[in-house]
Amino acid sequence: MSSAMSLTGIGLVIVATIGIGLFGLRISRTTSDFYVASRAVSPRWNASAISGEYLSAASFLGVAGLVLVNGADMLWFSIGYTVGYLMLLVLVAAPLRRSGAYTLPDFAETRFESAVVRRICSGLVVGIGTLYLLPQLHGAGLTVHTVTGAPPDVGAAVVAVIVVINVAAGGMRSITFVQAFQYWLKLTALAAPIFIILIAWRSGDHSIGLLQSLQGAAAEWAEPLSTAGGRDHPLYATYSLLLALCFGTMGLPHVLVRFYTNPDGRAARRTTVVVLALLGMFYLFPPMYAILGRSFAPDLVAGGADTVVLELPSRIFPGTAGDLLGALVAAGAFAAFLSTSSGLTVAIAGVIDQDLLRSRLHRLTGGDYLAVNSFRIAALLAMTVPYLAFRVTGALSLADTVGLAFAVAASTFCPLLVLGIWWRRMSTTGAAAGLIVGGIAASAAALVNVVGAPTAGWPRALVGQPAAWTMPLAFLTVIVVSKLTPDKIPAGTARSMVRLHTPEAVEVDRGPQAFTNLPPSDSTPPRRA
Amino acid sequence: MSETRSAGDPDLTTYRDVQLSPDFSELRRRFRRFVFPMTGLFLVWYFVYVLLADYAHGFMSTKVGGNITVGLLFGLGQFVSTFAITMIYVRWADKKVDPDAEKLRHQIEGEPR
Repeated sequence: MSSAMSLTGIGLVIVATIGIGLFGLRISRTTSDFYVASRAVSPRWNASAISGEYLSAASFLGVAGLVLVNGADMLWFSIGYTVGYLMLLVLVAAPLRRSGAYTLPDFAETRFESAVVRRICSGLVVGIGTLYLLPQLHGAGLTVHTVTGAPPDVGAAVVAVIVVINVAAGGMRSITFVQAFQYWLKLTALAAPIFIILIAWRSGDHSIGLLQSLQGAAAEWAEPLSTAGGRDHPLYATYSLLLALCFGTMGLPHVLVRFYTNPDGRAARRTTVVVLALLGMFYLFPPMYAILGRSFAPDLVAGGADTVVLELPSRIFPGTAGDLLGALVAAGAFAAFLSTSSGLTVAIAGVIDQDLLRSRLHRLTGGDYLAVNSFRIAALLAMTVPYLAFRVTGALSLADTVGLAFAVAASTFCPLLVLGIWWRRMSTTGAAAGLIVGGIAASAAALVNVVGAPTAGWPRALVGQPAAWTMPLAFLTVIVVSKLTPDKIPAGTARSMVRLHTPEAVEVDRGPQAFTNLPPSDSTPPRRA
Repeated sequence: MSETRSAGDPDLTTYRDVQLSPDFSELRRRFRRFVFPMTGLFLVWYFVYVLLADYAHGFMSTKVGGNITVGLLFGLGQFVSTFAITMIYVRWADKKVDPDAEKLRHQIEGEPR
């Protein structure tokens, strides 16, 4: 494919991202702007932004790559990503909004009245965020490498630098606009080549190849739960993956914070409906790339499957048309890396800022600093760790690595949220124990995968898709330990429950302070800069 | 909410009152009675689909027309049903939960501080 054209496309995305970010900077003034865009984002904008942020390298490149290699089972990735959103909506979104906590550590501290539980949560946010950022950087490296042949470091470094600049400059307000734009760019980039291929097919062009590809797809590869691509125990793996995706979404730091950018609960629900429609629309396309890839780029099955989306347009249409479409897809891929990385960086930076940096800065400077500057330093730190991790890890399957981040979230934050919201006998010790046991089990599995997984049989299946055993383990730990330590049930549980379960009134903007009888929690962040 | 509150604190009594009030219990019960079964049901539907795909190959690969199989329709149905469930939930929340919000809110805010 033409590298000049693709580089131009990537360049345009970067310029647009920074441009819209700078526009946001002009209206982003307070700490509240930085975190939650002052809760003033309309559902339609917000839904585009949420979808833009959610559709990462794993969705844009990874799902097509996995389907190409492993066949129809991998379609569960796209369904799981969508269902996870639904679980988040019905089980935790509304109570969490009412809690007035901005982040997962805030919620943990408010509900369990414990700085220790808060600190464990902060560590987990940074860990899950890093595990999620890692494949974004690998995706960026892969894209630049595919397009220009430059070493992967280049693409990863570009994404890291742009994201830090953009997040540090404008925070949440500016990335809301950036991400809304990026959703539509991603959808266009993925849909346009498919539509053009279909038009070409109908006009008789390439018809033989396409028919062959669709019939060739009826082989083992298209059978559900086949062992195509060398996966062991497909039924277990599929269930485990589904569990991770269904219950992990609610524990992803960048997803939750988005629910606060709606003005009220009703708007939050409206937003979710639009999000599900937008996600469903997007996920129609990656499997089509995989099916077409089976006949037009079969060599990628053996290696480089994650590049099938990038390679396909120029394989089907040699010449300028293919180059143009290839450039569009490369630009869309970059939009995916930038948007997800920005959202994650905001979420991780928020936690680093509040839990690590601000108190230290306060001590160092004697209080003579701007809260916004603390957030900016935190943004830089938030990207440094995943970038270093990127330098030491080899090639990863993008969607698989993201799946592991979901598994860790499902084994830690899911029990904390679901039981914390619905079970009033949960004790602080139980919460801490569940987070630690689930966190260690799932992260250990993730680490083994990133470093190099066992090669065959049950060990590979259990470590490759850990959620099916780590998540029940975490739930069980919370329940057993809570039963053993009834004296550690937080004293304010009754009050927390009222706060979490009293529905939000219509037409009332319920910021953390708006619910007049409740004193704002110590930990809510919108201290004015 | 990390600050501790003494037993004589008026706020604490208010919240305990709400917690014990039948309105609040009814609200929580209604929410749980709707949301938990619904969540269970849609999870079962997703998991059964996987089982069908594995053990009912013949059924799933029944051709409905052209290259379209039952399995393919069910697969697309997953997206459609996800969307349908969301719509049902949102309508329910708008109709049943929001009106009760007003009532309980007034109850809480109407309490003397």
